[in-house]
Amino acid sequence: MESAIKTVVTTFLSSTRGKENLDGGGFQKLVKKQLGGLMQDTNCSSAIKEMQQGLDANNDGKVSFQEYLTLIGYLASSLSQSKSGSTAEAP
Amino acid sequence: MPSELENAMESLIKVFHHYASKEGRSGTLSRRELRELMENELSNFLISQKDPAAVDKIMKDLDTNGDGQVDFEEFVSLVVGLSIACEKCYQTHMKMQKK
Repeated sequence: MESAIKTVVTTFLSSTRGKENLDGGGFQKLVKKQLGGLMQDTNCSSAIKEMQQGLDANNDGKVSFQEYLTLIGYLASSLSQSKSGSTAEAP
Repeated sequence: MPSELENAMESLIKVFHHYASKEGRSGTLSRRELRELMENELSNFLISQKDPAAVDKIMKDLDTNGDGQVDFEEFVSLVVGLSIACEKCYQTHMKMQKK
């Protein structure tokens, strides 16, 4: 579990190339490279851009580490729900 | 072929469900299950995990809906908190290496 957390952190850090936040291009790359198996539309730049705008809570045009974790948390929750299937309580 | 990041997410989910299914309601962590998870999975990150008061405090912080159980979404906030702590640590580490 610790190595999983490490991967989540280092994936973000290696995509930012030394900067604090992910810019549009870096986010596109990260999503295409790392999340292609989980999400549809990862080949569609405009869909990724839309998602980036959705994540950008402070509207600075970049994706901060916190905003990136929102995406990871959201994906993990939906993945977990689909995995546990019928045993999950219906909302 | 899943990417590293996808594998990482999958293992987080697996860890949660492995401990959550041990007793009581499956799909949520009881206090005891949370303690086991922290003892076995986070022994390097959380030195204070042997302190029962720390487990209680973390449990209380995580349990936002107050049902005495930690569901997956509440567990995600633990992961997020740890990630933020790690990120700061890695960044200082990387800056040190550059110097």
